[in-house]
This record gives sequence, structure tokens and C-alpha cells, in this order.
Amino acid sequence: MAAALLWQAGCGARRGADRDVLTIGAFSVVREAFHEGIVPEFQAYWKAKTGRELEIRESYNSSGAMVRAIDAGLPADVVVLSHSEDMDALARSQRVRLDWDRSAKGGVVAGSIVVIGVRPGNPRHLKDWGDLARPKVGVLYPDPKTSGGAAWNINAIFGSALLARGTQSAGERELDEARRLVSLVQSNVINMDVSSRQSMANFLDRGLGDAIVTYENEIVLSQKAGHAIEYVVPRSTLRIENPAALVEDMVRKHGNREIAEAFIAFVQSDRGQGILEDFGFRPISGTSHKLPATSAKLFSMHDLGGWRRVKAQLNGYRLKALALAELRGARFR
Amino acid sequence: MTRKPRLGPSALAFGIRYGSLTYLGLVLVFPLLGLVFDTLRTGPAAFFEALFSPAAQSSLTLSFAAALIMVGVNAVMGTATAWVLVRYRLPAKSLLNALIDLPFAVPTLVTGIMLVILFGPSGAVGKALAGRGMEVIYHKPGIVLALLYVTYPFVVRSVQPVLLELDRAEEEAAATLGAGPATTFFRVTLPALWPAILSGSALAFSRALGEYGAVVMVAGNHPGETQTAPLFIMGAIESGEVAQAKAVSTFLLACSLGALLLFKWFERKTEAQDER
Repeated sequence: MAAALLWQAGCGARRGADRDVLTIGAFSVVREAFHEGIVPEFQAYWKAKTGRELEIRESYNSSGAMVRAIDAGLPADVVVLSHSEDMDALARSQRVRLDWDRSAKGGVVAGSIVVIGVRPGNPRHLKDWGDLARPKVGVLYPDPKTSGGAAWNINAIFGSALLARGTQSAGERELDEARRLVSLVQSNVINMDVSSRQSMANFLDRGLGDAIVTYENEIVLSQKAGHAIEYVVPRSTLRIENPAALVEDMVRKHGNREIAEAFIAFVQSDRGQGILEDFGFRPISGTSHKLPATSAKLFSMHDLGGWRRVKAQLNGYRLKALALAELRGARFR
Repeated sequence: MTRKPRLGPSALAFGIRYGSLTYLGLVLVFPLLGLVFDTLRTGPAAFFEALFSPAAQSSLTLSFAAALIMVGVNAVMGTATAWVLVRYRLPAKSLLNALIDLPFAVPTLVTGIMLVILFGPSGAVGKALAGRGMEVIYHKPGIVLALLYVTYPFVVRSVQPVLLELDRAEEEAAATLGAGPATTFFRVTLPALWPAILSGSALAFSRALGEYGAVVMVAGNHPGETQTAPLFIMGAIESGEVAQAKAVSTFLLACSLGALLLFKWFERKTEAQDER
């Protein structure tokens, strides 16, 4: 009892006049960029602006696991997730506002594109999504059931095939052809790993596969760590948009709405986007000055009609790999 | 025959009895009941619909087939191992004996990684096998291999004590009466070992049905092909399809419980035989 009182008193003192506290729950992909870049810079920014020390507590997990943790009451004030579908799940359980995507910049804080990572010199000459459907090309991407990243990857392959045929007029035949491309690529996936990071480890450390489909920023991060990996941007690919929102009951309870809002605005600002660019992300508006320019046609989930529509068109990502016989000689045109 | 000294109705005995029963209830039974009631609450229609979805069905079929193949191999090899450990003179026998339990001590994820390093597409053995058109890791054989490893000790540890206690006089009598070693083994020794082999196999089977750690590293996780039931459950949980996860979990639970009840039955039979 006495100990509990002391503990509470301790917490009270830490949250007292001289120190602010903000807790962030984010999906794993932004870990390095946040921990090494955004967090210390925002602390400095907050100190300069208000003269107050800011303690930032960080928690990282896969996007789906973060949704479940916050649903179960993880005390995060700001939540950063892989995609809007996950954020909508938190909105349905009233952890974040239902109109979270109507805040500034649609609630998006980080951007990237889906690319194809290849071995140095691109020995298999993989240039576009269709090349990943060629026989005997070993592909890696994680299971879309357990990884938010894989959902982006599959949407990119599916969407580019669909847009090449014009979305407005996409009927069952166009959908079937786009689904067929995804199935063909999926048949070439060696192992449907649990997470993007595990796929990356298999590609780099175990020399598995010829190609890895992942976020551009994940490959830039690996290159910075000294790994021998290159990437190609397909002719048309998906723009990744990672959203953030306030966890309403937590900012109310902790009384730090102002700090949480300032944090999201900071990440979205030119300064915040510049920090993210150093870690391989693309600015959410405008073009990148630090990443190679691309002539690829970029499309967004909005162009495809939204997450729910694509998920339904792809049968909830439960696409069965094609039978081997069907795969032999099959080419995607 | 001496009577067991009876513990009086002391506070200690009372505490031990109800304390341990409460512990059993809290740690084991409550979570089980929680899952079962939670699954049943959604109603039988939703339960069966989730259970009979194509992806769930194929994952269950794969899990059962892989576990059955594993049981077949490990029942034979486990019995043979126990036989060698008990009947043969071996150098470093105690070290060998300790080695048997290693699969219990090694974290199952590490088991998976070991198998990938050796049998994976870029592993020493894996490369040689791939050259002959045999793919192990990320294909079905890899799943069986992982199960063989993690369940190896069960049959050995169940047969070994029975073999140690076995009265050699019967085998000697058979030999004296002119039976060859094979006849002696199949007509005299094996019948005494059956209950132990089966109970060890039942334990191994129920363990194999739910194995996640080792399998997730080596299975390809392609739905309808190389996705086992525990992998299916994980995918369903992660993508918010809780009903599917619960239905398959409850079904696996029922099957494991069934295998274990079978195990208890054979164990009792073994005990009855020991007393004879």
C-alpha cells in the first residue's frame, strides 16, 4: 500500500511541472526512423518551443499486433500504423476518432513506394511485376494475413495490373487477369514469412530467392546497414501511406492532447519529412530530393477504390497458389 | 501389506489438497473452458462454417497427415532407440541418454532455424537434395522433419522404462524352446511394449498437431499447400478473423484431448500389466 502510494507519487512528480510525457505506439517499419530521428528531434523542438523536457516512451510492434494491444488498453497517446484499414479497426472500437482521416493531410505521416529488391547487378533481369511471375524466379514477401507490409505488396501487384487495363471499366475479366498475376507471383513465393523483416532476413542472410517485394525505405535501410541489395521500381507501383492518429481516451486521461497533436504535425512538417527521407521514406507531398527520381506511374489505394474493395476483390488475401502444372509455361502478358 | 500413514484433517493437508486443485483449475481448466465457451457462444452454424472453410480444412488435413506420418516413423525409431539404449553396451551411454531429451530443451524456433541452416535451399544438405530434385524446407517434407525432431523423445521415454523392467526370463524361455530372435521379439517382447509405444505415440501426436515454433520456420505457409492448422490460426488472429481462429483452435484442442485420453487409457493398461 505504502509502496503503491510512493510509486504514484513518483509518477506524479515525473509528470509534474518540469516534465511532459508522450507515449507512442507504432508499427515496426518506422522504428529506426522514429527512434533515431523523429523522437530526439521532436524532443529538441519541444524544448525550444516550450522550454519543457519531454519524455517520449516508444512501443513498436507489427501493425496488427499494435491494433490489438491498443484495443486491449495499451496506454499509447499517438498510434502510427501500416495502413488505413488497421486504423479503421481502432476507429470502430472508438479508440481513435471515426473521422481520423479528415485531419490534416488525411492523417498520413509517412510515405514510401512498393519496389522489387534484387541481387547486385540484377542477374535475373527483373524489371516489372510480370517478371516475378516467370517460372523459377524465387520471390519473397510475407503472409498478408500476418503482415501489413505484404498487403501493400499484393495490392501493388494487383493494382498495377488492374490500372494497366483501366480501373473505370474493370469488369470480371480484368479482375480475373489481375488476380491471375497475383496468383502467379504468389506461386513463386518461396516462404510466406510472418513479417517483412523476416523476409528481408531470409533474402539477405540466407541468400534465399531472386527478388523481394517490399517498401523502398526497408531496402534503403538495408543498404545503409551495408547489405548488398539493389532495387528496381516497376513501371507502375503503389504509393504507401502510413497513417497516425490520437488515441482519444489516452490523451484525455494523460492530459497531453496538445503534445500529441504537435507530434503528428511535426512528423508531417517539412522538417519531419526531411528526417524520414534520411531513412528512405518519400515525402507525403512533393518529390524527394534524397532518393532517386522515378518515372514510374504511382497510384494510391484511393485510385483502386479503397482497402475494403481491394481486399474483397482479392478474396480476403486467401489466394491459393496455382497448381504447378498450371504454372509451367504460364506467362503473364 | 502395510497401511499408508493417513494424514489427519490438518490445515496443511487441507491447504495442499485444495490449493493444488485451485491451481489446476486456474492454470489449466479455466483458460480451456474460456476458449470453448467463447467459441460456442457464436453458435454452431458459425462454428461449422468457419471449420469447414476450404483454407481451414486443408490446413487441418495437412496437420493430421504430417502428424500421422511422424507418429509412424517415431514409433518405430523411438522403440528401436529405447531398445539400443537398454539392451546394448555403448560407449558414452549416459551422454547419449541425455541427448534424447534435447528436443524438449531446445526452443522450438531454434529447432526450425537449425533445420533451415542444414536443409534449407542454401544449406549444405539442402543444396545436395535440391540437385536431385528433392525440396525439403518450405515444402511438406520440411514440416514432417520438424515434427520428427520435436517429438522424438516421447516414444523413447515411454518405452525405455518398460523395457528396463521387463522380465528377461520370458525371452530366455522362448529362446530355450527354439524360437529365433525375431520370433522372440515379435511374439514375446513387442506385446509387452505395445501399450508404452501407443501411449508415447499419442503424446507425440497431440504435441505435433499444435506445433507452431519449429513449423513456422520451415513450412512454406502457402494456404492450401503448406499451411498447417497452427499457422492458419496465427494468420486468422493477425488479420482479425477471430471466429475462424477460435473454431480451428477448439477443434485442435478436442483432438489433442482425445489423443491424451487415449494415452491415459493405454497407460492404465501398462500399469495393469506391470502388476500382473
